[in-house]
Amino acid sequence: MRVLSIETSCDETSLAVVREDESSFIVEKNIVSSQATIHAQYGGVVPEVAAREHAAWIFPLMKELDIPHDGKGIDAIAVTAGPGLVPALRIGVELGKVLAWSWNKPLVAVNHLEGHLYSVWLETDRPPLFPSLCLLVSGGHTELILMKDHGKYQLLGMTRDDAAGEAFDKVAKLLGLPYPGGPQISKLALEGDPAGIDFPRPMLDSQNLDFSFSGLKTAVRLSVEHHASLHQGGLDPVDRATIAASFQQAVVDTLVHKTLKAVQQTHPKSVILSGGVSANRLLRETLREKLSVVDPNITFHSPAIVFTGDNAAMIGAAGMMKAKRKEFVDPLTLHADPNMNLISL
Amino acid sequence: MMYQSHNEEETKQIARRFASTLKGGETVFLKGDLGTGKTTFVRGVAEYFGFGGVVRSPTFTIMNRYSIDQGPIKVILHMDFYRIEDPSEFTALALEEELGRPDTIAFIEWPEKDTQQFVFATYQIHFSCTGSIHEIEY
Ligand SMILES: Nc1ncnc2c1ncn2[C@@H]1O[C@H](COP(=O)(O)OP(=O)(O)O)[C@@H](O)[C@H]1O
Ligand SMILES: [Mg+2]
Repeated sequence: MRVLSIETSCDETSLAVVREDESSFIVEKNIVSSQATIHAQYGGVVPEVAAREHAAWIFPLMKELDIPHDGKGIDAIAVTAGPGLVPALRIGVELGKVLAWSWNKPLVAVNHLEGHLYSVWLETDRPPLFPSLCLLVSGGHTELILMKDHGKYQLLGMTRDDAAGEAFDKVAKLLGLPYPGGPQISKLALEGDPAGIDFPRPMLDSQNLDFSFSGLKTAVRLSVEHHASLHQGGLDPVDRATIAASFQQAVVDTLVHKTLKAVQQTHPKSVILSGGVSANRLLRETLREKLSVVDPNITFHSPAIVFTGDNAAMIGAAGMMKAKRKEFVDPLTLHADPNMNLISL
Repeated sequence: MMYQSHNEEETKQIARRFASTLKGGETVFLKGDLGTGKTTFVRGVAEYFGFGGVVRSPTFTIMNRYSIDQGPIKVILHMDFYRIEDPSEFTALALEEELGRPDTIAFIEWPEKDTQQFVFATYQIHFSCTGSIHEIEY
């Protein structure tokens, strides 16, 4: 089976063609707007296109994808139907509907979170085993999800305020680092002492599996203000690196602690770390290490770096599994759903 | 009016009092630095209208939508323009379809970046914080 997939739920416009292999998915093509340039040959010169201007991106990316105009060789269309921004989602959903209807191909609606779960099934010879426990961390998400089987999900916990990735970006701003903040903080943290400041580890002692990062953001702001007031010229470079390292450690400790707590409760065979923040090396290595101590038989899975952020390839993988279960939707009635629920699937 | 808040609960209390004056169709700008209580304030508003779900920061989603059913107001839009880099991005948000409807109240965090050119603010609320005292003014 070969699937054409479409993702426009947030910042990225992305199109992919994914094909199945024995145990995983082969990504034939995966084009993401933030890494692409709109070529001048398409309708004249296109000025720089902003994030979320999916309408401006989508057909140039379609051209770039370079598939037969009659859809030959494509067996199904998969599109992200939610959750996300309605005007953004709508562009992808409408394209999916039109293609499915005019090519007379089956259409599947994929939940964006489900896509992130399937990012670890892309291009691998060692897919996760069920049940799998997934920590999904990105700019907009911090969720613990139990995946009992293909298409069977249970939401165990999530952030009550800010997502982990958002905390990285906002702390980066407090430290005067450019956007996106995650990689910048990690780099600066290499020069600082991660035990230098004892930032709060929110909700560590609570019994549930929820997260909270807004208090940490406020604690970092107070610390920055305090350290900056100690010196004439503002924040000292050593203090700055210490704050970055201590903050990153607090986030990693919290995420790892809660994930291990969920492992104890659910006894998974595999643990999945996915989403944009899963590119963070300290998080990957700490979780892998701690997990091997808790139970060396649990396998650990994290996507290739290109599949950590939003991309259509992961939507194609999730969509193909749905297509195999014949969970098709009607191209004439599908709507974007901004609050689409993973469990109601 | 200028209010002082010493903790999250007091901020939500001030928010509930503010919410009780809303009739529908209002758009409220929430201005203030990181961690001064803008999202906490919207949490208080949502509680006042009996919203039972979780109010999360919309910084990444840009727009959260809370459905409520008390009186004429059916929808709270919780927006955040922190990540808007250029005013041209507003057109892609299709705000004209959402704002000003009589069954909708809208709260916008980080309405800087020329939002005023696109959106009319019924109220502006200013948040600040010195030490542990938070100030809320509208
Ligand atoms: N008086 C107060 N009002 C609101 N929040 C407070 C107060 N005192 C401390 N806090 C803390 O500050 C943080 C405010 O975060 P948030 O509402 O997300 O701010 P913003 O949306 O302005 O960035 C929370 O962690 C909260 O617990
Ligand atoms: Mg906020």
